[in-house]
Amino acid sequence: MRRDDKTTVKEVYYLGVLTRAFRNVSRRKIRVLLVVIALGFSMAIMISIPSGIVANQTATQRLTENYNELINNMQEEINATLTLIEISPSSGFRFGPMPGPGGSESYLDESIISDIESISGVKDVVPFLEKSEGTNETVERFGRAFTFLRPDYTIMGVPLNSSLINNYSILPTNITDGINLKEGDSGVVLLGLNNTEYFGAGVGDTVNILGSDFIVVGVHGASGFREAIVLYMNISDAQMITDLLGKISRLDVYAEDQSDVDGIASTIGAEYPELSVTTASERLSRLQNMQDMYQNTLQNAESTIGQTQTTAFQEIIVALIAASLIVFFTMLYTVRERTKEIGILKAIGFSNWNVMSQFMLEAILISLIAGVVGIVIGSIGAPTLTSLLLPHISMFGTRGGPGSFQGYTNPEVPGAPGSQVATAAPAPQTMLLAFGVAALLGALGSLYPAWRASRTSPMEALRYE
Amino acid sequence: MSELVLKTEKLDKVYKLGGRKVRALSDVNLQVKKGDFISIMGPSGSGKTTLLNMLGCLDKPTYGKVILDGVDITKVPEKSLYKIRRHKVGFIFQTFNLMPYLNSIENVELPMEGTKKSKDEKMKRARELLKMVGLSEREEHRPHRLSAGEQQRVAIARALANNPAIVLADEPTGNLDSKTGYEIVRLMGKLSTDQGTTIVVVTHDSHVASHAGRILFLYDGRLKPQERRGTHLMGKLACPNCRKEIQPDDTFCPRCGKKL
Repeated sequence: MRRDDKTTVKEVYYLGVLTRAFRNVSRRKIRVLLVVIALGFSMAIMISIPSGIVANQTATQRLTENYNELINNMQEEINATLTLIEISPSSGFRFGPMPGPGGSESYLDESIISDIESISGVKDVVPFLEKSEGTNETVERFGRAFTFLRPDYTIMGVPLNSSLINNYSILPTNITDGINLKEGDSGVVLLGLNNTEYFGAGVGDTVNILGSDFIVVGVHGASGFREAIVLYMNISDAQMITDLLGKISRLDVYAEDQSDVDGIASTIGAEYPELSVTTASERLSRLQNMQDMYQNTLQNAESTIGQTQTTAFQEIIVALIAASLIVFFTMLYTVRERTKEIGILKAIGFSNWNVMSQFMLEAILISLIAGVVGIVIGSIGAPTLTSLLLPHISMFGTRGGPGSFQGYTNPEVPGAPGSQVATAAPAPQTMLLAFGVAALLGALGSLYPAWRASRTSPMEALRYE
Repeated sequence: MSELVLKTEKLDKVYKLGGRKVRALSDVNLQVKKGDFISIMGPSGSGKTTLLNMLGCLDKPTYGKVILDGVDITKVPEKSLYKIRRHKVGFIFQTFNLMPYLNSIENVELPMEGTKKSKDEKMKRARELLKMVGLSEREEHRPHRLSAGEQQRVAIARALANNPAIVLADEPTGNLDSKTGYEIVRLMGKLSTDQGTTIVVVTHDSHVASHAGRILFLYDGRLKPQERRGTHLMGKLACPNCRKEIQPDDTFCPRCGKKL
């Protein structure tokens, strides 16, 4: 009943190998757990980094779009107000044509209005009285104390004269509730979105501002952080409640014709050297500067992204090498530890390939478990991991750059300063890829240890204790 | 019963130990017929295990031939040797060497892995073998829940799994108490007589040897041609007349002078 010599036995596999691999893996739980955690982190890094890069790119793109929109809006506004000359005390801080809290502490005398009106070519003069109310805050920075006002609301006194409010951009145009201010209104106020919260009042309510009662006629929908706290009222009411009778904070001067603008500006400049006079051409050049700055910032962001990709690539490579080294050393140790077992298996007729596939299968199994763990860690921890591993995209570089006003950052304002940490959950394809990579790593890392196991001399191995 | 299962011709094995050549086996000529139960005795270091490794394709001789079931296994390339080990040889070890993470039936199935047998066939064969060694009740037990004797029975069943041409046992009773050892030897004897299994046992236990049909002595790597000379007493060779210890080389008993 002996087998024929010439019978060539074809290698056929049953579930046996896999079952044994499972048992061997489950035999050393603590070790497998440690390896799985270590490998899992490498996997997590691998799957979260690519998604982080994609998110960074999206963020940059969004910022670019926001900038372009902002620049276009400003351009349009400048084009629409070519005959406008802006006048303010030169110590005042103004940014763009938007009304803002400024921080202006100096005021002009009302008498200047008639003086300027008398200059030839001047069509209209629109005075504003702007005053912010809030609390003073002190910030310690670079060893020095800076005090600034954190405004609760900004009072904007405007001339409620129908010839002015109908022709020029004085009042907000988007009224979300109630009605806008109109000619001759007094004792009434148009609140900003944030004012309604601050005062806890809506249309028809009475609010008390600096000791005087005002009826709310409407709410405007300006959403920027500066605009949303601005409440509009008659300039004479504003002068009254702020104790600034006969004072104004700035003027908008409109020329009869665009050709008169430069002449008027130089006359005013000569007569009132202490004033800051800005014409459309100056605003344009300012816009140009701003555009240049944005371009620079965008270029920086793009180069940061390039850098990010290089870093990410290096990190992925390191993670891959680390993972395969973990598999490598674990399997090398396992093979050493199980030398006797290898000897027995070979003595009872296991081929080199049987032994090799056994060990590789175990390594792949461990790696696949690690892949699952990695995907779990990666999905949960991707934001943290990416922000730890990837350079942040900082649109304005360091703090205090142009346009950034310390303490005021609002991500809803287009082009607001601040840094973007872009993150996203890993895509399913990335996870699938990670799974494949895990299996590949297991196979790769265990190649040499398994080969060594298969080459073990059964006689030597049997002697091994 | 004259068919030769195993034959060695002028088997030499030389080891290099620290630059010095050690001759472990020299000019070993051995013939094993089908159904033989042969015991090879000899003191430690006499080359018993070396010879057994050579017969079981675990080691290659320096010179000479090993013809197993008609094939000169010294000419078989290393990477095909596993087929010989799998199909022609069954190993029984002193320390049983069962896989601790497999139960009895799985341990017996192990050598059948990679053969053409279906899962059911393997299972059936393993059950049959476990029944033969008297362990039908212990199929699902893992080695740590079996006694030493039971473990060795599983190992015997495993050695027989692929119906090998020869079973090689290296000190099969070395780790067993005398009573259990006796049972194991009886089992091997029974396999030899009932099933016609060819068995070569290496031992220095004369009790084990006494069950064998033939006893060979290995001294300093040489196989002594004298077989069945004297009797065995307490593991030593003794004069059948005066029962004093004799050397295998002796032609006459040094005590009583009787021709051996």
